[in-house]
Amino acid sequence: MNALRISAIAKRHWWVLKRSPHRSFDIVLWPVVDTLTFGSLAIAYQSNQTRAFYVLAGVVLWHVLYQAQIAVSAGFLEETWSRNLLSLMVSPVSEAEYLLGTGLFGLFKLVLGVGGVALTALLCYSFDITSLGVGLLPVIVLLLLCGWVIAMLVIGIVLRYGSGAEALVWGILFVLMPLSGTFFPVSALPGVLQPVAQALPTTHAFTAARELVDGGAYPWDQVLLSAGLTLAAGAAAVWYVTAMLRLFRRRGYVTRYS
Amino acid sequence: MTLVLAASGLVKEYRRGRAVDGVDLTVAEGERVALLGPNGAGKTTTLLMCLGVVRPDAGTVTVAGHTLPKHRSKAAQNVGFAAGYLPLPERLRVREYLGMYGELYGVRDSKRAIATGLERFGIGHLEGALGTELSSGQKTLIGIVKATLHAPALLVLDEPTASLDPDVSARVRAGLESLCDDEGTALLITSHDMREVERLAQRVVFLLGGRVAADGTSEDIALRYDRADLEGVFLHLAEESRR
Repeated sequence: MNALRISAIAKRHWWVLKRSPHRSFDIVLWPVVDTLTFGSLAIAYQSNQTRAFYVLAGVVLWHVLYQAQIAVSAGFLEETWSRNLLSLMVSPVSEAEYLLGTGLFGLFKLVLGVGGVALTALLCYSFDITSLGVGLLPVIVLLLLCGWVIAMLVIGIVLRYGSGAEALVWGILFVLMPLSGTFFPVSALPGVLQPVAQALPTTHAFTAARELVDGGAYPWDQVLLSAGLTLAAGAAAVWYVTAMLRLFRRRGYVTRYS
Repeated sequence: MTLVLAASGLVKEYRRGRAVDGVDLTVAEGERVALLGPNGAGKTTTLLMCLGVVRPDAGTVTVAGHTLPKHRSKAAQNVGFAAGYLPLPERLRVREYLGMYGELYGVRDSKRAIATGLERFGIGHLEGALGTELSSGQKTLIGIVKATLHAPALLVLDEPTASLDPDVSARVRAGLESLCDDEGTALLITSHDMREVERLAQRVVFLLGGRVAADGTSEDIALRYDRADLEGVFLHLAEESRR
C-alpha cells in the first residue's frame, strides 16, 4: 500500500467534483429532498412520534449507505467515462489502492451528505440523530462498509458486462431500500421477501437503529448479526470483483474503454 | 545487453480468432523499436500484454526484471505508456492530471518533472489549461509528457502521432529523440507513419496475422523484401496477408 498513490486517487476525484457542480446534487440536493419527502410522509401519517423518528433515522442512515456506495462505484465509472481506465491500469496503482483512494474521497462526500440530511431532519422535524448516542457509531460503520461492499459488486458487474450495467450503480440501492427495511420493520414486507431481507446485513443495521430510537437495551444481537453478514458479503464481494478483474484482463475488455 | 522488455511466446485468442500467435519481442536498454503491421495484425494486443493489462493465454513477459502479472506494480514503475487514442480527463487541469500521475508513479519532485516534461515538447504554456481546452495534438503531447514524468526505462507509445498534423508530429518526434538521447529511455512504438519509424526506430518488428514476419533494421528488412523502403515492405506484407 502506498499512501501517495491513495491520496492521488482521492485528489483526482475531488478535482472532478469541484468542476462538476451538478454532481453536488448527489451530495446535497437529493439527501435534502429525501429527508423532506420521507420526513413529511412520516409526520403526516404517523400519530406516534417514535415511529416518525424511525423513518427519519432511516433517512439519515440510508445516506451513509448511499454516499459510501455511490462515491466508490461512480468514482470507478468516472474513469470509464473519461477513458482514463487504461492509463490507470498500466500505472503502478494497485486495485486495493484505487478502492481505498475512492473510498477515502467517499468519506468526505459522506460527511457532507449525511451532515445535510441530519441538519434538515433537525431543522425541519426536530429530529436530532445525535440523540441516539455513540451506540449509533457501530451502525454507521456497518452501513459504510455495506456501501463499499455493494460498490465492489457493482464494479465487478460493470467490469464483466460493460457500460450497459451502469444503471446498477444507482438502481441497486433502490432495490435494497425496501428490502433492508430502511423505513419500516421487515415484518411489513410481503412474506416471500422477508427471508431475503433477513439475509441482508443492511436490514439488521436499520433494525438496530430503530431499536436505538426506542431507547431500550443496546441491540447487540442485531449489530453482531449485521457485522457477521457484512463480513461474509465483503468476502464474497472481494472474491467476485477479483474474479471479474481477472476475466477483464483475460478477455481484453479494456479495449471497450480506449 | 540488458533487456528492459522480454516477451516470449505470447499467445492471445479472442472469440473472433487468434489475435497474437507466438510473438517473441525484446527491447534492450536505450533501444528504439517499432512494432509495425496492418490493422488487426496484433500490435495493440501485444502491447497490452507487455503492459500487463491483457493476460496472455500463453507466454511470459518480464519488464525491467519484473515478471508479469505477479510483479505488475513494480514493473509499471519502469514503463511509461501513451496512445494517440487516449483522451485527457476533461475536468482536470493539465498540472493536476500530470501531478496525479506523478504521484502514482512516485515522482519525488513532481512540479519540476512536469515543467521539464512540458518544456521538452514546447507546451509549457498549457500547464493551467483544462482537458476541454486542448486540441487533439496538444492532448497527445500531454499524454506523452505524462508517460515520461517518472523517467521510465521503457516508453511504450501506441500510434502517438495518428491524427496529428505534420508540424505537431515533427515536435513529437523531436521531443522523443531528445528524451531517448538525454535519458537513455528505450522506446517501443507502433505507428502507420513509415517515415516516422525510419527516423525514430533502430529496429523494426513486423507483425502479420499475429506472428512476427520480420525483425531487423529498416534497411535490412527493405533489402530482404527487395523494396525501396519500409512503406514498400508494409504494402507488400499487407497485400500478402489479404491473399
